[in-house]
Amino acid sequence: MLKKFIYTACMALALVSCTEDIMDEINRDESNPPAEAVPSKFMVTDAITSTAFATWGGSYAWYAGVYTEQYFGTGNNQFMKAEMRQRTETASSTTYNNEWNSTYANLNNIKQMIEKCSEGGIDVGAYDLRGMAEVLWVLNFEALTDLHGDIPYSEAMNVAVSQPKLDSQENIYKDLLAKTDDAIADLTKAKDAKLKNAGAQDILFGGNLDQWLGLAHAVKARLLLNTSFRNPAALAQVVTEGEAALAAGFNGAELTVFNGVSADNPWTAFNWSRQYLGASKTVVDYMDTRKDPRLDLYAVPFYGGPAYAAPGDDELATSTTTVGYPVWLDNGAASVHLLGLSELHFIIAEAKSRQGQDAKENFEAAVKASFDDIAAACEEPDLASTADDYIASIANVDLTEIMVQKYISMTRGQTIQTYNDIRRCRAFGEEHIKLQNPNNTSAGVNQWPYRFAYGNSDVISNPNVAKAFGSGNDAGNYIFTEPVWIFGGSR
Amino acid sequence: MAIITCASMWGQNSIKVTGTVVFAEDNEPLIGASVTPVGTSHGVTTDLDGKFSINIAANIKQLTISYVGMATQQVDVSTSPMLIKMHSQGTELSEVVVTALGMKRDRKALGYAVQDLNAEDLNTDGTTSLASAMQGKVTGVDIRPSSGAPGASSQIVIRGARSFTGNNAPLYVVDGMPVESSPDFSTGASVTDANIADRSIDINPEDIESINVLKGQAASALYGIRASNGVIVITTKRGKLNATKPTVTLSTNISGEVVSRKFERQTIYAQGNSVAAYSPTTSMSWGPKIVDLPNDATYGGNSQGHAGMYYNSKRAAAGLDGWTTPEIYDNVGDFFQTGVTENTNLGIAQRTDRANYSFGISNSYQKGIIPSTGMNRWGVRGLVDWNISPEWKTGFSSNYSSTKITSAPGANSGIMNVVYSAPAEYDLKGIPFNAPNQPTKQILFRATNFNNPYWWAKNNEYGQHTDRFFGNSYVEYSPNIGEDYSLTFREQAGLDSYTSNYTTIKEIGSGDEANGSIENYGMQRRVFNNLLTATFNAHWGDFDFDAMLGNEVNNDNQRIWDYYGRNLNFYGMPTIGNATTFISSEYNRSERNVGFFGSMGLSWRSMLFLSVTGRNDYVSTMPRNNRSFFYPSVSTGFVFTEIPAVRQAMPWMSFGKLRASYAQVGQAGNYYKNYYYTPSYGSGFYSYTPVSYPLAGVSTFAPYYVYYDPKLRPQNTENFELGLDLNFLNNRVRFEYTLAYQNITDQIFPVPTAGSMGYTEMLTNAGQMRTWSNEASLNLGIIRHRDYEVDLGVNFTAVDNRVVSLAPGVESIMLGGFVEPQVRAQAGNTYPNIYGVAFKRTADGQLLLSNGLPQGTSDSQDLGNASPDFVTGFNLNGRYKRLAVSSTWSYQHGGKMYHGTNMVLNYFGVTKESIPYHEGTMVAEGIDEATGQPNTVEVSRQDYYQSYYDVTEAGIYDTSFLKLRDLTLTYTLPKFADMELSIFGFARNVYIWSKLPNFDPESSQGNNNMGGYFERFSVPNTSSYGGGLKATF
Repeated sequence: MLKKFIYTACMALALVSCTEDIMDEINRDESNPPAEAVPSKFMVTDAITSTAFATWGGSYAWYAGVYTEQYFGTGNNQFMKAEMRQRTETASSTTYNNEWNSTYANLNNIKQMIEKCSEGGIDVGAYDLRGMAEVLWVLNFEALTDLHGDIPYSEAMNVAVSQPKLDSQENIYKDLLAKTDDAIADLTKAKDAKLKNAGAQDILFGGNLDQWLGLAHAVKARLLLNTSFRNPAALAQVVTEGEAALAAGFNGAELTVFNGVSADNPWTAFNWSRQYLGASKTVVDYMDTRKDPRLDLYAVPFYGGPAYAAPGDDELATSTTTVGYPVWLDNGAASVHLLGLSELHFIIAEAKSRQGQDAKENFEAAVKASFDDIAAACEEPDLASTADDYIASIANVDLTEIMVQKYISMTRGQTIQTYNDIRRCRAFGEEHIKLQNPNNTSAGVNQWPYRFAYGNSDVISNPNVAKAFGSGNDAGNYIFTEPVWIFGGSR
Repeated sequence: MAIITCASMWGQNSIKVTGTVVFAEDNEPLIGASVTPVGTSHGVTTDLDGKFSINIAANIKQLTISYVGMATQQVDVSTSPMLIKMHSQGTELSEVVVTALGMKRDRKALGYAVQDLNAEDLNTDGTTSLASAMQGKVTGVDIRPSSGAPGASSQIVIRGARSFTGNNAPLYVVDGMPVESSPDFSTGASVTDANIADRSIDINPEDIESINVLKGQAASALYGIRASNGVIVITTKRGKLNATKPTVTLSTNISGEVVSRKFERQTIYAQGNSVAAYSPTTSMSWGPKIVDLPNDATYGGNSQGHAGMYYNSKRAAAGLDGWTTPEIYDNVGDFFQTGVTENTNLGIAQRTDRANYSFGISNSYQKGIIPSTGMNRWGVRGLVDWNISPEWKTGFSSNYSSTKITSAPGANSGIMNVVYSAPAEYDLKGIPFNAPNQPTKQILFRATNFNNPYWWAKNNEYGQHTDRFFGNSYVEYSPNIGEDYSLTFREQAGLDSYTSNYTTIKEIGSGDEANGSIENYGMQRRVFNNLLTATFNAHWGDFDFDAMLGNEVNNDNQRIWDYYGRNLNFYGMPTIGNATTFISSEYNRSERNVGFFGSMGLSWRSMLFLSVTGRNDYVSTMPRNNRSFFYPSVSTGFVFTEIPAVRQAMPWMSFGKLRASYAQVGQAGNYYKNYYYTPSYGSGFYSYTPVSYPLAGVSTFAPYYVYYDPKLRPQNTENFELGLDLNFLNNRVRFEYTLAYQNITDQIFPVPTAGSMGYTEMLTNAGQMRTWSNEASLNLGIIRHRDYEVDLGVNFTAVDNRVVSLAPGVESIMLGGFVEPQVRAQAGNTYPNIYGVAFKRTADGQLLLSNGLPQGTSDSQDLGNASPDFVTGFNLNGRYKRLAVSSTWSYQHGGKMYHGTNMVLNYFGVTKESIPYHEGTMVAEGIDEATGQPNTVEVSRQDYYQSYYDVTEAGIYDTSFLKLRDLTLTYTLPKFADMELSIFGFARNVYIWSKLPNFDPESSQGNNNMGGYFERFSVPNTSSYGGGLKATF
C-alpha cells in the first residue's frame, strides 16, 4: 500500500533526475576505456612487459635462484627462510601468489587479444598480433606448468567458471606445442602479407616478425627439450626447431626497455628495494676452478662484507646488507631475458650431446653469447673480449660441462630454466650440478622443492587446487616428494 | 488578565513575583538559587527558606532559575506564589528526541533504541576527535581509535559490520544534512606509510549540543541506502534559554601528552646475533652482556689498548670517536617529546521569541609526542533560525573548517620499531643521524632500509590539509489548518564541499626511497543535498496521527589526483619540480542517489505507538535496471505503565515500555561497466614503482583486475529489534535493554577469485552475515542531595557479528595486512579474524618440533576472532556543592589482535621477557616430528625463543583491557559580575590494565575495517593531563 503510494508520488513528481539513461551517464567511467573498445595492439605492450618483468623476471625467478644456489638468500626475512629451506616459506602458497596471479591476469589479456584478432573480433585479420599473442600465451603457461605441474588450463580465464579444474601437465604440454605451431603459421601469414599492426607497441622486437618467428621456434625447442625425459625422440626435433630459430636470424628475446632511471629491471629493483640476494659459493666454486673471468663481476663485496656466502650459512642469511652480489644487480638498465641467444645454443648443445652428436659449435656460441650478455648487463665491455681465451681453455665439452656452463651463464637472470635443467637432469638420474646447501635435506628428509606450491588465491578460492595443495600439517608437503610430470612425477 | 490587574494596582509598570525554590527529590528548599527575569541581568537569590521575592517589569513573561548542580529552568511568570522544583542535571532526560530526517518524536513513542548524548556527556577536553569524546558512552557502538596521534582515524561501527570489505561507518547528519565522515583514502592493506584521518575530524566536538545515535535500521530506514550502518545525528550549539541579551561563552583547555604505556626494553644484553659476539650492524639485541663489551674479541677495547671501552663503527661513521664506554641509554624516553593539545572556543548565542542565532570560532592545536607530528584546526560556524511569522520560518547552518595534520608512519615504513629496538648501549639521540656533511647518508645502528627516526623527523613528512565547508539553509511553511491539525512543508538545500591535499615527502637517502620522492595527491568533493518534505499531524481524541512524504536528491562529484615524482636531483628541495621521473593520474567520479519516502505514525493515549516508514532509492552506482530499491520499516511501542492497574500495582515503577521493530535496508555496490586500465609494477617486494607507463614511449591497456558482475543487485539487511525500558523510583533508576538481530544477505563485495580466472576479484553478490547484539544500560542516581550527589551509568554491549558464508569455494577474504599475517573475514567465524601461520601441532595440541625447535604451518590458518566478547563503559560522576567529578571507564573482554611489535621485539631479543633466553640451552616441550616421540633434542635457548617468535601465532594477543578514559574535576565559581566561571582539570587514559604486554592495545594500523586488530610498529597511544576554564557572560 505504502509502496504503491510512493511509486505514485514518484510518477506524479515526474522527476527526470533518476531515469536509467541519466544514471548511466552519471556512472560512466570517464578515465578508463570499456573492455570491447581497446584495439589489441595496445594490449601487446603490457602482455610483453608482464611476461618479462613479472613472470620470468619476478619472484618466481628469485626463489628459483635460491633453490638452484645461483643466489644466496639473505636479509633476515623471506629469502633467509628460503635459504634455510624453511617450509613456512618454501611450501607456502602465499610465497608464489603474486606471480601466479599476475601470470594468469596477463594470460587473460593475451586470451582477449587472441579473441579480438580472431573471427568476430575488432582486429580480425591481424595475424601478426595474434601470432605474438600465441607466443606469449605459450611463454606464460610454460612458466606456470613447469613450476607448478598440473594447473588450471582449459577452464582458466573464464568468468563463467569460478573454480577451474586442473589439467594434466601432459595435456597442457600437448596444447602448448600446438599453440607454437599456430603462432608459426600466423606469423608466417603475417610476414607474407607484410603486416605491420604492432609497430612501436611491440616493445620486444619493434614489429620485426622474423625475430618473432625465431622466438616461436626457440620456445618450441625449449618445450621439446623439457619433454625429453618423457619422450626421448623429441631430442632430434629440439635440434631442428633450434636451428630453425637461428635460421630465422633469432638474436635472443630480451626486453631492453629499462634505463635505470625511470624504468628498472625487476632484479635490480628487487635488489635496491630489499637486498635479499647475494652471491653463492656454489657458483663461485664452478667459476673459480675454471678461472672464469665472470667471477669478478659475480661476487663483489659490499660494505666490506664477504664477497659471497656458502649456501645455508645461517649467520649470513640472518644478517642484512652484508653479503656481496653480482654487478648486474646494481644496473637498473640491464635487460630481462625471455629466451636468450646463449640459452638457445645451450638447448641445441644439450640435445646434440644427448644424441651423441658434436655439440662444440653450439657450446662455444653459447658461452660467447653469455660473455656478451654479462658484459652488457654489467657495462663492462672488456669482458666480451676475454671469451675466446676462456673457451679455448675448456678441454672437454661433455654433457656435464655443457650443463655447468649453462648453469654459470643462466645465473644472469634465467634461474627458472636452471631450475628446470636441474630437475630434468635428475629425472634422467644425472647430477651435473652439485648443490651444497646442507638444508637441502634435514634429518634425512628432502627439503629441496621439486616444484613450486600453488598460488594462494587458488588454494583459498578453488577447491580443485586446494585439494591438490593439501591442508593442515600436510599443506604443501607434496612439493618435497612429487616432481612435476615432465620431470618424472605423476602430476 | 491577572498581570494587568496587578500592574494597575501598583500603579506602575512592574509587578511583584514571589515563590519558593525546592529540590525535587526531597521538596526541601534550596538556599541561594538565583532567580533572574528573562531579558534583564539583575536577579535575586533565594533566602534560608528557599523563598524569593522580586519586582519585575510587566512585559517580562519568564524567569530563569539556576542552582549549581541543577538543570537551569525557565518558567512562566505567575502572580500567585510560585513553586519551582529543581532537578539534578544528571537525571534530566529530554522528552523530545530528534529522529530520522529531523522528526521530533516523544521519547516514549519510539519503537526502537536511540541514545542521546548532550554536550556535558562528551569528554571533549584534551582531545580533538569526536570519536574519542564519545568513547565509553554508548551501547551497541564500537569505537576503535588507531592511535593517540593528532588526527588519528577512528573506526566507529554500530552493532557490528554489515559489509565484509565495504564501508561500515555510520552516516553523519549535522543540523539536518548528511555530511561525509569516512576517510578520503583508505589505507588499504595498511602496511606502509602513515594513517589517514577520517573526515569526522572536521567536526569540532565542542560545537556539538547533542548527538542522537540511531542504531537500528528501523530508526534509520528513512535515510535510505546510506543509513544501513546507523546514523549519528548531530545538532550544533545554539541559544538555549530565552534571553534579551546574547550569551558569550569562552572556553579553553590545554593538556600535555605522554605515551600511554612506555615500552621498557631489556638493558642487559647488547647488539648482536648471539651472546658470543657483539655486532655493530645487526637489528637484534642477542649480543653479549653490555658490561662485557670491552672484552669482545673483535670490538672490545681491553685487548686493544682502550681498557673499559668498545668500538662502535657507527659512531665513527658519524664523526665521533668510535671507542666508547658501555652506558645505558633510554632511547624510547629520549625520542618521545611531551605532546600538547589546546582547544579554544569562543561562541556567542541568543534565543528570542522570534529568532535563535549562534556564532562560534574555534581553534584546536596539537603537537604530537613524535617529533614533527601535529595538527592545527580552525573552525568558524554560524547558525540562524528565524520565525518570520507563525506560518513561515527560515534559517541556515554553516560550518567552515581548515584542518592540517602531519603524521608518522607505521609497519614497513615505520620508525617506532627502530626506536624500540635500538640497543640499550647505542645512543640513538646522541649519535648524529647522518654522516658529517652528508645529509643523505643516514647513520643507524642497523641497516637503513628503515629510517633513523631522528633523520625521518628532520627530512620526511606525511601531510594532510583539508579546507571544508558544509551547511544548509531551509524554509518552512506551516499553514494554519485548525487547532487539532498541523501541516508543514520544508525545503532544505545544502552543500558539503571540501578539498583535501596530501603530501608524502621522502628525501634523498630515505630507507625505502633512496633516490627521494614526493607524492602530492588529493581529493576535491562537492556533495549537494536537497530535501523536500511535507509533514502532517493530527489529534483526534485519544489518537495522535502523523504522516510525512518527502524526496531527497544527493549528488556527489569527486575529483581525485595523484602526482608522484621520484629521483630527486638534489637534497633539500623535496618538490615535484626537483624530481626527474613522474607518474600522474587524475580521476573523476559522480554519483547520484534519489530517494522518495514516507512515514506514518499513530499513537493511542500515550500508551500504544505504531510507526511505519518506506523509502525507495534510485542509485547511479548500480547496473542498469537494478538501481531501484525499496525499504520498509515498522515499529511499535507499548507503555504498560500507562495502564492504571499496573500503575497502582507497581507505584515504584515510574515508566515501563516494551518495544519491537522490523526493518529492511539495502546497500548499493560501486558498479562499473567492465574496463581496461594501464597497469604498473610497484607492489610486493618493491619499495617503489620500478616500471610504469609510458614505457619506451608507448602506453598500454589491459583488462582491469576486478570483474564487475552486470547482474549485481543490492545487498539487503533485515533487522529485528526488541527492547525493554524500565524506570524506577521516580526515574532514579533507569534500565534499558535491547536485543537486535541483523541478517545481511546478498553481500556486495569484491569476491577474491582464484587467480586462474584471470581476475583478482569479482564484484558480485555473495555471502551472508548475521549479528546478534545485546545492549543494556543502567543509570543509577545513587545519592541525590542538594549539595552532593553520586550517579553511576553502566553500559554493556555484546555483539556477535558472524560471517555465515562467503562466495562458493571462498573460505576467507582479506581485509588488510601483509602477505601473512592478515585481518580477514572467514566463514563460520566472527568478523573479522586474524589469519596467519600457526604452530605445527599434534592432534592433541602439543608443539610439533623439528630438530628441537617449534615450527610453523606452511599455510595460514585462523588465529582467532578479533572482535571482543563484550565491552562495557562506566560513567561515575559525583558532585559536592560546587565541586564536580566525572570519570569514564571502559572495560573490554576478549578479542584478539596481531601485535607485530611485541613479536618482533621478542624475536630481536629486545623485550624483558627475552632475558632468560639469551644464554644457555634447553630441551623444549613437545613432540619430535621425525620420531613422533617427546622431544629430547637440546637447543640453544636463543634459537628456541627466535623460532617461537618467528611463528605468527606467537604474536596473537588477547585484547582485554580496562582503561580510565577520562577523569575530570570541575569547580564552578560563584557567579560574579554576571559571569559564570568554571575551572577544571582532567586526565585521559591515565590508568590502563591490559592482557597485552608492553603496549597500549588501542594502537594499530589502518583506517578501514581492519582498524584496531593489526599492529606493527604503529604510532602509540597517549595519556594526557590538563586543565581549562569556561566562562559564560
